[in-house]
Amino acid sequence: MTTKKLFCICLIVVVHSAAIAVDFESSITATTQWTVNTRNGNSQSLNLSLIPEINASFENGWQVQSSVRLRAEAIDGLQVDDINRSGYSDYSKPALLNDVVELELRELYLQGTIGDNFLMLGKQQVVWGKADGLKVLDIVNPQSFREFILDDFESSRIPLWTLNVERSVADWDFQLLWIPDQTYHALPEQNASYNITSPELVPSAPPGVLVKIEQPKRPNNVFLDSDVGLRATTFWKGWDITFNYLYQYNNLAVLRQNLSTAGGTPVVTITPEYERTHVIGTTFSNAFSDWVVRGELGYFTEHYFIRKNPLQNQGVVKSPELHYVLGLDWNAPWDVLLSAQLIQSWVINDADKTTRGKLDTTFTGLIRRNFLYDTLIAEVLVIANTNNVDGIIRPKISYEWLDNIKTWLGADIFYGHSQGVFGQYKQNSRIVVGMEASF
Amino acid sequence: MKRLKLTGFLMCTVFSTGFANDVNTQLPSGDEIALNVNARDEGLAVARNLKMEMVDRHGKLRVRETRAFRKYFGDEKRTAIFYLKPKNIKDTAFLTYDYADKDKDDDQWLYLPAMRKVRRISASDRGDYFLGTDLSYEDIKLETRVSLQDYTRKTIGEDEVDGFHCYLVEERAIDDNTAEELGHLRRVSCVDDKLWIVRRSKYWDLQNNLLKTTYFKDISMVEGILTAHEIAVDNHKTGHQTRFIFSNVKYNEGVNDRVFTQNAMKRGL
Repeated sequence: MTTKKLFCICLIVVVHSAAIAVDFESSITATTQWTVNTRNGNSQSLNLSLIPEINASFENGWQVQSSVRLRAEAIDGLQVDDINRSGYSDYSKPALLNDVVELELRELYLQGTIGDNFLMLGKQQVVWGKADGLKVLDIVNPQSFREFILDDFESSRIPLWTLNVERSVADWDFQLLWIPDQTYHALPEQNASYNITSPELVPSAPPGVLVKIEQPKRPNNVFLDSDVGLRATTFWKGWDITFNYLYQYNNLAVLRQNLSTAGGTPVVTITPEYERTHVIGTTFSNAFSDWVVRGELGYFTEHYFIRKNPLQNQGVVKSPELHYVLGLDWNAPWDVLLSAQLIQSWVINDADKTTRGKLDTTFTGLIRRNFLYDTLIAEVLVIANTNNVDGIIRPKISYEWLDNIKTWLGADIFYGHSQGVFGQYKQNSRIVVGMEASF
Repeated sequence: MKRLKLTGFLMCTVFSTGFANDVNTQLPSGDEIALNVNARDEGLAVARNLKMEMVDRHGKLRVRETRAFRKYFGDEKRTAIFYLKPKNIKDTAFLTYDYADKDKDDDQWLYLPAMRKVRRISASDRGDYFLGTDLSYEDIKLETRVSLQDYTRKTIGEDEVDGFHCYLVEERAIDDNTAEELGHLRRVSCVDDKLWIVRRSKYWDLQNNLLKTTYFKDISMVEGILTAHEIAVDNHKTGHQTRFIFSNVKYNEGVNDRVFTQNAMKRGL
């Protein structure tokens, strides 16, 4: 069944169902945010998004959930044409209404029970993992890196057309995913505010060499190129445990390089190509007195890394990767939450040939306190990478004026080596002010 | 003679000690009252609407509408609360497994829709206030019951609440650690002497200052089970008030075991 037919079926079900729906619920959330660059005082972004949601519940217990996002960005560098849209499939691509406004179908799915099976069919987000701030197994859905990782994951995660079936057997819950939607990460364009320049993530050409980037080679068979996932979950002797398996196209294209000459000038042609990997993983969590321990681990059978020598093997190193996070949350005195994470990633083969290095280590630290009966929240999140001695510091204070009105003031301070994943954005440190209203 | 005097003295000491815990020997002891309160039938399972109203000292009102479930699985009690309104907290869910073994920590989880993850949370801070209310996690767990192991108790008199006669029972935390966990040093409860249900509890903080007063109101029979339809809390330190209003209460029917699972938290009702 093609994606187009799947989409039409969902639409028919929604329209038909509307005739027999017993209960509608609707809401709209409006969010506006203004950010100011701390280095030059210029506005970095000024945006408004509207997210209407309509949910229909039927007599037989089935539901249809839908939401769209209308987003407008006033400042160049983060506008709709500053994102490379080649990662989107035709059925997930946001519609551009003009240079500054895009309209995106965020979710549209049917959910209900057939026998012992719980079914969710349509455009949705599927979230795996236990990590905060960074991702190990939360990779079922691709992500938009329009604003690097500064956007909430709820906003930056790209929903996919998915068949999601869950079933409980004894003390186990099983989830099966079939994802025919070939949408991958949405990356910033070269002139965007959060253009990626770190040599760990993109190849860099020496001076005097022209760079030509081709259109990505995308998978195009709905069945043979679809992603499949399986998760088994249980609660055993106080431990929340999952076992995860995902057979997917990596959401980041491999950037293969080929050197040639044109009129005597060396030219590097970069061809993005999506490659498959198996992901085998597990997550766990438990609470001990004031402490919560949580972790997740993912083994990727084939990942591709930027090679130091761009002339060898088309500038890529293929290797399995082991990626894991261990987190500890502590309910400290005076209602303070302290949370720390260690995240590491190992390149198993030929690590010395990569621009990244064998072991990459990142620490995160969060301190949060709620005040005034949870209406005022103050927190500081720090993400620090030890390889490049770079990172980001994110203080934030938010207040709920009313149940449906919230404002926040914060900052995103990048630091460290400009070659690093975080340090590459040192010039983008900013103050953030925002407001959200929902009805 | 000396032996007689000594014996008499000892007998007086024994008898006076035996009666030291109660103001009047005709009043039941604190422990007896607590046992009677906990012996009251609260049903194997219950499903109800729960409306939470919170008012701060400036009069700002916040209202939460939820659907709450509780069910016994043997000695283990499970509670699930699903937030329905308003939009900013809709689909948030709380789940707790309360074990009879006092040496085993309860297991608790919180689902935050913004994260789309079920998060394991620590259950040791049972004296912490529950999600912006004046009721603690322990209050949510016990509802109209009392903890038998956390306090020493004695009957200190009689009183009246809303025209109902009740016994006054003072309960003191058994040790400093427990007091710190619970968030209060002692409390004095007014227990209805006919229905064996708490009608009012006053709490004193760790510095022995009056902390809050909880009222259990609108008490009536539902399907043969005594039910408090309102819990009202006045926090004297912050000037904040909380009201829990229960409606559409149904016992022992239609409470599916699957409601008390992490999947149910994610899927919602």
